[in-house]
Amino acid sequence: MFKKILIANRGEIAVRIIRTCREMGIQTVAVYSEADAGAAHVLEADESILLGESEPSKSYLNIERLIAAAKNTGSEAIHPGYGFLAENPEFAESCEAAGIPFIGPPARVIRDLGNKTLARRIMESASVPVIPGMLEATTDPSLLSQEAERMGYPVMVKAVAGGGGKGMRIVLNRETMEEACMSAMSEAEKAFGNGSLYLEKYLKAPRHVEFQILADHHGNVVHLFERECSIQRRHQKIIEETPSPAMTPSLRNAMGKAAVSAARASGYVNAGTIEFMLDRSGQFYFLEVNTRLQVEHPVTEMTTGIDLVRQQLEIASGNHLTFSQEDITQRGHAIECRIYAEDPEANFYPSPGPVLLHREPTGPGIRNDSGICEGFEVPIEYDPILSKLITMAATREAARERMIRALKSYVILGIRTIIPFLIDILSSPEFAKGNTYTDFIDRNFKNWSQSKEDEDLARIAYVVEEMTYFNKPATKVKNSGWPTPWETLGEWRM
Amino acid sequence: MKYRLKIAEETFDVDVSNLDSEQDLRFTIGEKEYNVRYQAISDNYFHLIMNGKATEVFVARGEQGKHIFVNGRTFLVQDEDQLPIRRARRRGLAETPGEVTPPMPSVVVRILVEEGDCVKRGQGLIVVSAMKMQTTLRAPSDGRVKKINTSIDAKVAPGDILVEIEEEVENE
Repeated sequence: MFKKILIANRGEIAVRIIRTCREMGIQTVAVYSEADAGAAHVLEADESILLGESEPSKSYLNIERLIAAAKNTGSEAIHPGYGFLAENPEFAESCEAAGIPFIGPPARVIRDLGNKTLARRIMESASVPVIPGMLEATTDPSLLSQEAERMGYPVMVKAVAGGGGKGMRIVLNRETMEEACMSAMSEAEKAFGNGSLYLEKYLKAPRHVEFQILADHHGNVVHLFERECSIQRRHQKIIEETPSPAMTPSLRNAMGKAAVSAARASGYVNAGTIEFMLDRSGQFYFLEVNTRLQVEHPVTEMTTGIDLVRQQLEIASGNHLTFSQEDITQRGHAIECRIYAEDPEANFYPSPGPVLLHREPTGPGIRNDSGICEGFEVPIEYDPILSKLITMAATREAARERMIRALKSYVILGIRTIIPFLIDILSSPEFAKGNTYTDFIDRNFKNWSQSKEDEDLARIAYVVEEMTYFNKPATKVKNSGWPTPWETLGEWRM
Repeated sequence: MKYRLKIAEETFDVDVSNLDSEQDLRFTIGEKEYNVRYQAISDNYFHLIMNGKATEVFVARGEQGKHIFVNGRTFLVQDEDQLPIRRARRRGLAETPGEVTPPMPSVVVRILVEEGDCVKRGQGLIVVSAMKMQTTLRAPSDGRVKKINTSIDAKVAPGDILVEIEEEVENE
């Protein structure tokens, strides 16, 4: 096993990886940009290296500086986390070339599967069902328009190098096609350095169901059941759970087999996720492979008891999987809520700024993977995820109730978060019934605004805080002839 | 004691008086009355019993007012009498029709129009990016682009006027 690894990421995922490393006795090296000097992942790591300015290209996306940092610290492997360079084949290649194992699949697999149209061809050849659409990508808007006419609107415009909803647009009619292509192209160019787009037939309100897989270097491939991730805003997941409310044992069996076939067909090694769309008739289609640890991996960990980061490290160091498909079982139900720094009342605009107060929920069946700490300034440059709150219980209903309780006691002050929005979703009858489709938010929570219910309490709290703030020195000095130093010290803070 | 406290765009008169002890207060907010017993646990953490019901609340002082947490919801509460003038002016500007300002601190990635262009209400003018999300700022009304006050890669903030739109005067 490695003695020391470098984590080429930031925020909650870097912290999460550091925790497993610590349990395994592996030293950790954090990297950071100028904006992240006081960030949680820097504070928790054994060592930390400043990469450069806050702009991602000068820090977290800078391959040269990352490799140099790994070499200078004697790191024996690099964990990419998710986002940034996690699915960049050049980065995986550079790591291998420098003789530092990349904790993830081989560069060739990342390249093949990162090319969404090639991935579709690989899946077709392995008899994994794919969504009807283009098998080649292009940067020519007129070609895309022609193709859209042929397929019939509505269509889904997608970046060939895409992921996380970036460079993706639903286009309902030909009038909006050109602007959608242009903005998707520029977004994809910026996010992935590749603006090529392709089209897929737009499936109306399917479910998003994905399978976690693990594959070692010795040909063993297993799946760790599904995660349902249908609750999305801007094509980005905000609530995930396992098991899926739509799953039956036979469907799980069929999809699990397809996921393992997909992994085998692409020559997959390490942890990965095969994403599917599941339509209302129970038909499923391959969507894409995420060649990395997923944001929502904790729900799988909570219900299978398997630490996925530990498995990634074992696989990367050449060890065999120590369990077979039959050994893996799922217990209970887990739900994850992503806590984003966004204003849910203003179209989910990012809300950067200082974290003035941070108090995490606790109690039975609660896990919080957080990347922030009090006093930290949430930077404008990066993804607005702050933390992930996970609850686990024997049943979906109990996990749901537990999540509401946990969210209601999660204090983050100073920036807007989507917590109040999440509480209302979890409390809604449609969520309780498991009617979770990808149009859930548009259908049930369009133009959501926060309830005014507790506004008077907030006003009362304002006044109470004001009174104690100004009364404190006065009450302490009261009734004393000669004030002692302890009384006059008053408002000192350590 | 009287306060004028603002949440979102709504201001209410809040009247507070002491009851028997220092920890017992009577509030009148609009038409409603509340008896509140409070205990300060720390500078930020308060235990309130309002009309017999206990709640924990958290308060943090920020630049724009107090951030207050109650039952999973957070509110920015401002004392109307202490609001800085600069903010009021900024907000005033942003509300002026014909002036386009970003909703949050961001970076300009594309400019879709030129000075002198005629634009329709809702037409995209400028694309800004923050925390990896791109947003198109749109024309608030029909008109002509009078002035563009920004450039690609410029860092911009709410209150900065990026584009000025002049409403076309209809000639009969």
